Amino acid sequence: MFKELDPILHSQLRLAVMSLLIGVKEADFTFIREKTNATAGNLSVQVQKLKDAGYIEVVKQFKDNYPLTTCKITPKGIEAFDAYVKALQQYLQVGKG
Amino acid sequence: MPDQNQITEKESIEIITSMIQKAKGSYHETGIGPILWGAVVSFASFVSFLQMKYGFSIGFDVWLLVLFAIIPQIMISVREKRSGGVKKYEDDALDTVWLVFGISLFCLIVYRNAIPSVTTRLIADEGWQMMKHYTDGSKPDEPLTPFVPSFYSIYIMLYAFPTLVTGLVKKYKPMTYGALLSYCLFVISCFTTSWNDMLLGAIAAMVCWLIPGILLRRKYLAQKNANVNV
Repeated sequence: MFKELDPILHSQLRLAVMSLLIGVKEADFTFIREKTNATAGNLSVQVQKLKDAGYIEVVKQFKDNYPLTTCKITPKGIEAFDAYVKALQQYLQVGKG
Repeated sequence: MPDQNQITEKESIEIITSMIQKAKGSYHETGIGPILWGAVVSFASFVSFLQMKYGFSIGFDVWLLVLFAIIPQIMISVREKRSGGVKKYEDDALDTVWLVFGISLFCLIVYRNAIPSVTTRLIADEGWQMMKHYTDGSKPDEPLTPFVPSFYSIYIMLYAFPTLVTGLVKKYKPMTYGALLSYCLFVISCFTTSWNDMLLGAIAAMVCWLIPGILLRRKYLAQKNANVNV
């Protein structure tokens, strides 16, 4: 029986954000936007969805009078990402057979 | 990147692989720190070499430059930390390694400055002193202030330590090779005169920090320009 792919992660931009954050301690909004080539508006919406799901932690602060948003993956997010990758592997193994 | 929910499993794998690679390959270090230290330490070592070898003095202790370089280094560190970007898991550990290196270097400076006078006093309390004796009898014996022979060799070895840790952890080959070369320079310095040790120290600072720093700076600027052009 296949595990269902997590709908929160099975989205191009949200998956890209989580894949970026899985390998680093934390990253700021500008860095994520540069790496994903997303628009600021779209990225904000998707980051909020990940935050609402408890997959990432978002810290908003000010740096030299400019807002600085930092994102960090949570243990729940790591667990969900791990489960998503395992489910993906299942799908791909069947595809090969 | 648009938010399309209709992605295939294969596309998912591609996104994951590509993003992990992008995070890994991001150079958030500007390279200014290693360039600054590499330049200052190699300059001070080289000037010390020239002074010792040709017996002249520039009128002040050139190593004070290293002390003054701490101020811009603090400013660079604070600015780089504030600039955000990305923080990797190993960053805190490497910061600690460099902090310990700084403390060790400071302790070594204290040791080098304290040992001669303290040793002179201690042996004087015991009622004896060190003398320089010319085996060919060409000059009369003269009192000798205790010193640690080939002391700069220890510095060369110390330069290599945090550099090798950083190079291996960051998988940054220029620093790894620079550190390994410094260990070789350390071994060579054990067999050379003090002024030649200074020259080897200048080379060590160049290969450990200055050259890797310049290469890092190039990569950082190339990446920055690529991000601007996207």
